[in-house]
Amino acid sequence: MKIAVNQLSLKYGNELALSEVSFDIDSPKIYGLLGKNGAGKTSFLSILASYREPTSGSVTVNGETPFENATVMQQVAFLYNKDYKEETDNVLGILQDTERYRPHFDREYAEYLVNRFNLDVKKPVKQFSKGMQSALNVIIGLASRAPITIFDEVYLGMDVPSRDIFYKELLEDQEKHPRVIILSTHLVSEMEYLFDEVIILDKGKVIIHEEFDSLINKGVKIIGNGEAVDRFVQSKNQIHVEQLGQTKAVMIYGELSDHDRMVAREQGLELEPISLHELFLHVTKEGA
Amino acid sequence: MKQPRIFQKVALDMFWAQFQWALGFLGIMLGIHIFRIVTSFMRGTDVDTYFNMVFVAANIFIFILGIICMNFLKHYVGNGVTRKDYFKGGLIASLGLSIVLPIITLLVSAVSQLVIGQIDRVTINEPNINSVVLDIELDGNIIGNIISSVVQSFVVPPYVDPNGALILALGIVSLNVFIYYLIGWMIHAGFYRLGTLGGLGFVLVGVVTLILKDTLLRIILDLPIAEMVQFLDFVPQSVAGITVFLLMMMLIGIIRTLTKRAMIKI
Repeated sequence: MKIAVNQLSLKYGNELALSEVSFDIDSPKIYGLLGKNGAGKTSFLSILASYREPTSGSVTVNGETPFENATVMQQVAFLYNKDYKEETDNVLGILQDTERYRPHFDREYAEYLVNRFNLDVKKPVKQFSKGMQSALNVIIGLASRAPITIFDEVYLGMDVPSRDIFYKELLEDQEKHPRVIILSTHLVSEMEYLFDEVIILDKGKVIIHEEFDSLINKGVKIIGNGEAVDRFVQSKNQIHVEQLGQTKAVMIYGELSDHDRMVAREQGLELEPISLHELFLHVTKEGA
Repeated sequence: MKQPRIFQKVALDMFWAQFQWALGFLGIMLGIHIFRIVTSFMRGTDVDTYFNMVFVAANIFIFILGIICMNFLKHYVGNGVTRKDYFKGGLIASLGLSIVLPIITLLVSAVSQLVIGQIDRVTINEPNINSVVLDIELDGNIIGNIISSVVQSFVVPPYVDPNGALILALGIVSLNVFIYYLIGWMIHAGFYRLGTLGGLGFVLVGVVTLILKDTLLRIILDLPIAEMVQFLDFVPQSVAGITVFLLMMMLIGIIRTLTKRAMIKI
């Protein structure tokens, strides 16, 4: 599955939700789509899932536009924080319905997950707690085994143990049935170990799209004497500065060469890796 | 084995879901009918046939089904079904319902009439439903006249007695309920796509379609026409028939246009 996003823009009235976004997704991996509220995550995912059309630009899946394309639409499962307050059907009914329209749906696996999340199969879904409804969305998403599976903040209502089950099942199933999985979230610290690639959206633009490992290597905290730190980081992309007395800590984003590392050692500077959570926080803060 | 095409699955699923609701509606109507038979037995009065009773209430019921039909759009797109397949499936399902509903009603009515025939104290009421239209008094209030016509249409659309011309009676009821379904679907699609003002515009289109449909059907069936639309009396039956068909096509075209590129709100 190859998703190509080209100069994609979406406007709501005068407000620009997505601004000329371009990137490719071309391998069956887990992609973390990160962004603050209103960054444009759901807008992009809605277009990919054929829920709406872009204002300009394009998204293609294997070269085809998803909107009203029966072949593509069947391959894309979009799970979000769906409101089930009027859903009188029970879990069994909903899974049967999903099975009819999702060609790769695995009924046995769905039943296994229902047990794993301890859901009552006969109770009307509208009587479920928010966490149970989220678990149902997760089950539908995983068991549909759609070649492009999108989870848009679907786990927000789940408690920590349920989220843990989800993360484990996701990794296990992805290993057996690799597909493009997009996890849109702002629970960055908790989920970062799941991501193979990270896409960070901010104010409708992609500001970072990197492999997780290389991204993590690019974020470094330089700690030491204020003047020495300033000298070292002056030509670097600084994303955050902290000062405590004479000691200064500056976070930078960018590759450090072997020469840079040698210089830092000579200057008595400490180099510390930074987490994805910290990186996300500082690259998306106002005025960054 | 050849897999059914997606719109066929949608048609079957939408038909089945709405058919179950329709059975609930027919069940409630049967309960009311039995209650009426019992009270008529006690008082020694006459009672409407089940067919006539459902005939009066079915339009509102099916109109509401049409309104609810729009809710299936989000469900199906969420399951990877195109808007086109949803539209085709929904249309086939509504057509199926419009055909099946009157047949079931007639069968239940036949059984009920047999039972009533065995009870000496209860007789079947044979009202002249079509003459109701002549009872609407016109005055200078145009809006009032229109409202009267719409209410009258909801309660008593053109009627053919099934004891006389069975197929025609069933056909007319099917046509009536099908158009009511389409109007409900169109109005919800109008509000969904164009907001309150646009939606109200489609309510107006629905009202005009309803009055026109009723009048044209009355012309086709040689039934009395309401005073307000007497000027349409000159229309030949063949032209009236074609116009009813075109009205139906217009409603179908509007629904498709409104849902073709509809955004799914989440």
